[in-house]
Amino acid sequence: MALVSEQENSIDLTKCSLMQQEEWEVLESIYPDVVSSDTSNGVVKLEIPIEFPESRIIHVIPELPVTSTDVSQPDVAPSETSKRTAVPNLSLSSLPPLLLDIILPPSYPYSPPVIASIHATNSWLHVGFELQRKLLEMWQDGEGVLYPWVEWIQSGEFLEALGLVASSEGDGVIRLPHPAPHVLVPVLKAYDRSIQLSRFSQMSYECQICLTSIKGARCILLSCTHVFCRGCLEDFWKLCIAEGDVGRVGCPDPECVKAVREANEEEVRRVVTEEEVRRWRWLREKRELEKDPTIIHCPLSFCQRAVPKPRNVDDESGWSRLRTCPECNYSFCAYCRRTWHGPHTDCPLSTQESLVLKYVELPEDSPERVEMEHRYGVNNIRRLVAKYEEEKANRQWLESSTMECPNCHVHVEKSVGCNHMTCAKCRQHFCYRCGERLLASNPYVHFSTPGSCLNKLFEFEGIDNEWQPVEGFDVL
Amino acid sequence: MDARLRRVNKEIADCKNDKQSNISIELVDSSPFHLIGAFDGPEGTPYEGGHFQVDISIPDSYPFQPVKMKFITKVYHPNISSASGAICLDILKDAWSPVLTLKSTLISLQSLLCSPEPRDPQDAEVAKHYMTSKSSFEETARYWTQIYAGGPGKEDMGKACDEGLRDEVVMAGLDRAHVDQFEALGFERSKVIDVLRRMNYRGANVAQINDDRVVEELLKS
Repeated sequence: MALVSEQENSIDLTKCSLMQQEEWEVLESIYPDVVSSDTSNGVVKLEIPIEFPESRIIHVIPELPVTSTDVSQPDVAPSETSKRTAVPNLSLSSLPPLLLDIILPPSYPYSPPVIASIHATNSWLHVGFELQRKLLEMWQDGEGVLYPWVEWIQSGEFLEALGLVASSEGDGVIRLPHPAPHVLVPVLKAYDRSIQLSRFSQMSYECQICLTSIKGARCILLSCTHVFCRGCLEDFWKLCIAEGDVGRVGCPDPECVKAVREANEEEVRRVVTEEEVRRWRWLREKRELEKDPTIIHCPLSFCQRAVPKPRNVDDESGWSRLRTCPECNYSFCAYCRRTWHGPHTDCPLSTQESLVLKYVELPEDSPERVEMEHRYGVNNIRRLVAKYEEEKANRQWLESSTMECPNCHVHVEKSVGCNHMTCAKCRQHFCYRCGERLLASNPYVHFSTPGSCLNKLFEFEGIDNEWQPVEGFDVL
Repeated sequence: MDARLRRVNKEIADCKNDKQSNISIELVDSSPFHLIGAFDGPEGTPYEGGHFQVDISIPDSYPFQPVKMKFITKVYHPNISSASGAICLDILKDAWSPVLTLKSTLISLQSLLCSPEPRDPQDAEVAKHYMTSKSSFEETARYWTQIYAGGPGKEDMGKACDEGLRDEVVMAGLDRAHVDQFEALGFERSKVIDVLRRMNYRGANVAQINDDRVVEELLKS
């Protein structure tokens, strides 16, 4: 005893104080987030988060709280209740911090520090004496131990020392015993996610669309791990949604475009306005519905919802013509698209149309015309004629300048490019010249086999020459 | 949309600074949305030594809609229209991504010259020529490179590069003897070339196409 006290007396406390101060300053400059109080009263508080260099598999094992000596054997038989609920393996890159309260005696670092308490945030780890003992073992006479402690805990190395890492399998799975895994798992997940988000928002990313380096806080990380700035993604998706090109609302990366990787609702919601999200969802529903070839659109111009064929109806029966719009409840005939006229009555011939036809065929100012104008009203007749002319012009335009997709019957107008078309709506490949379906695997064979479109991949209607193909000299 | 202008300006500057890829982008007039891109024909191909120009037109919604490109320089290639220079490359259509740039697209065009895909042809006649006789196809492609893209051997040909003096038979990838044979029957030389080219009168095909069939076509045209 006399020896010890003599040694204590020989320690220069001023020197110790300087050493403590220096150690603290170094720690503060390297790990500013870890230190949470100053050393003035000799009490040190450390809050050390666990950050793995690469994400690790973590398996939470159901277990009653155990004493530290048992921790090294985590394979204790699980209790009855926890057996029923399987806990999934987690892949995390961080764990909530350990809180250390340390008292530094005036003679530290020439005498060991005192660990007043260790506690794991969210109680993810039951901290026993084992950890405390191992920490104290790291202290060496005259050397600051705080920095090694922080490193040892932050890197997750201490988990190995506590026997929580299944090293025998070589995969470094961390096994955490916990009395209530179903409570702990979501907590760990949420913590890891918040850490990743804050890391993400602090980093800078080069947006591949505007070619500018942008702070993560103004970027979006997509589920495929590609990162784009919010502004560019917004411009891109807004345009696609406005144009009804719902299939392109996805990751803009070339690989993802080829794989047609569409964005999920959460991603879309983060980027565009509520109104656009609604339209996006409507477009998606519409696309799903329209995959059904029996679809007929509701004839009411303000509605136009896709109405599928009702199930369990005999095709032979007149009832198979009945459609009821799920949106506006309008019931109509699938053949003539007029208000439902019952299963037995044939579709009425348009009296209106025959009226208009009769009127336009009559010479102007003829007495018959004047009579009709008197009978139906000049304005009514003129309105009907205008509508008829417009429909006629529209029909003519559709016939002369567009080609109908052979699958979904949408009319397509080509502006530039070759005659191999891919329907934007249903992805059907077809020939713009003759409207024939083409093989998705080899659409161009149509233009190189004898037929009306041989060698006409680039030719438009009208510049047809007289050349006829020769049999038997096709591609060898 | 000045975001479009900013991006295009960046792309043009990036191309100017990049001396390695040998891709150039020049303005046609004062607008940065109508450009001419150019690159050299890849080595080890019939396009080697040629310099190829591409007309670039940048749409209003670029980069969310694909850039429009077509060859200004005439190219003899199964995937490029020999008449209009039109290209039907997937990334210029459905597979376009806003991440693609003018430079990366031009590089894709350059690599298209390296790897013709005759089963996905843009010019069916050229594709057939390629499938019938690859060596004859390459000879024609090389000749086109010399004539139109300033490829090697231009000096040896002297004035052949001038309009009217170039060899239409070689241009069409045909055998001079075949052309002479039908011309001797009293048909116009240009007509003979046209018909034989369309009939793919090359390589192994020659044996399969009856002379009468050719004459019939010549009479029809």
